[in-house]
Amino acid sequence: MFDLLVDYIRSGRIRLDKTKITHRVAYHDPCNYGRKSQELFGHGYYEEPRWILDQCISDWVDLFPAGGNQYCCGGGGGTLLTPYRDERIHYARRKMEQIKRTGAKMLVVPCHSCHGQIKAVAETYGMPDLRVKYLWEVVADILIID
Amino acid sequence: METITKRYPSVIKEQAPLRPINSPVDLCMACGTCAAGCPLTGTKGFDPRKIVRLVLMGRDSELIDSKLPWLCTMCGKCEHACPMGINIANLIRAARGMVEREKVPGMIHKGVELGLKTGNNLGLPAEDFVFIIEDVGAELAETPGFSDFKIPVDKKGANLLHTLHNKLVNTQNEDLVHWWKIFHLAQEDWTIPSQNWEGVNWGLFSGDDDAMKTFIGRIVEHMEQLNISSLMYPE
Repeated sequence: MFDLLVDYIRSGRIRLDKTKITHRVAYHDPCNYGRKSQELFGHGYYEEPRWILDQCISDWVDLFPAGGNQYCCGGGGGTLLTPYRDERIHYARRKMEQIKRTGAKMLVVPCHSCHGQIKAVAETYGMPDLRVKYLWEVVADILIID
Repeated sequence: METITKRYPSVIKEQAPLRPINSPVDLCMACGTCAAGCPLTGTKGFDPRKIVRLVLMGRDSELIDSKLPWLCTMCGKCEHACPMGINIANLIRAARGMVEREKVPGMIHKGVELGLKTGNNLGLPAEDFVFIIEDVGAELAETPGFSDFKIPVDKKGANLLHTLHNKLVNTQNEDLVHWWKIFHLAQEDWTIPSQNWEGVNWGLFSGDDDAMKTFIGRIVEHMEQLNISSLMYPE
């Protein structure tokens, strides 16, 4: 997915309007594309999404800690499908503190589980206006159409 | 300078049994690095260090019968930080796989069963699926710049096979179009299968390796039958 987007952008098959998103955006590394991918396939997807964001947004920032030390959102491993809702919401507190510290209005994620979890808990953590977007949604939003 | 006298022959290195590399739980030093880094530690008795101890002491049943394996997100931060490289998330997944299937909480195993039976975790028949995606595709075709947009279903010899997360087909139809817009403008030769289009594999979550293999096998089968070399898998 990252490789495909990088290929489309680098080869010029799609063109992006970087002036469209003007507010601050934060990026979250999903566990499966980072740590798990590194462990299983010997490559964690840390650089590729950041390169893609560089092509899309002028003010995007990392959460701290990021990369291999990134906190999980709390929605992985099927926890969104279990009845243990309170525990799942409690789990998210570290993630939501990270996001709040950046002052970002939007969080970009390349994972369906992270997307679902963060949208579901944002209001509980006092961020009802936080927008959550897929990385490919950001790309689709700023496509230049001739 | 003091002379070091060799009083014992150097045999320990040879005599001590080597640890099996695939189950290095007994290498745990109980340092607690895993527990300190885990956002779940302290929640309903969850503690990765204690889980490693339970497994080390052979008290598997206590773990399997508890809800602890299902609270963990298997995010792997514990093992990323572990100085001894113990695969803690794998312990959790193995415990999940040993739970009787009817006791697997929530939708996880129900989704696996539906997926095995119908080809997707929603149990949606192929004609309904095609109706939904073509309907959303027709809407996109009304947007400026996408007037000739059409969804290529079961297209032989396409360059890219696209599977879908079931939630996009179910309640979040508005999120189907992002990739489609990108494919259209990139002039990608892509296709979606009308059957077995499920893009998530809940066997990963339920600890069910056989189910996982079946789901993956179906995608491989698509790629072989449709003669497609690349896959865009959403998870």
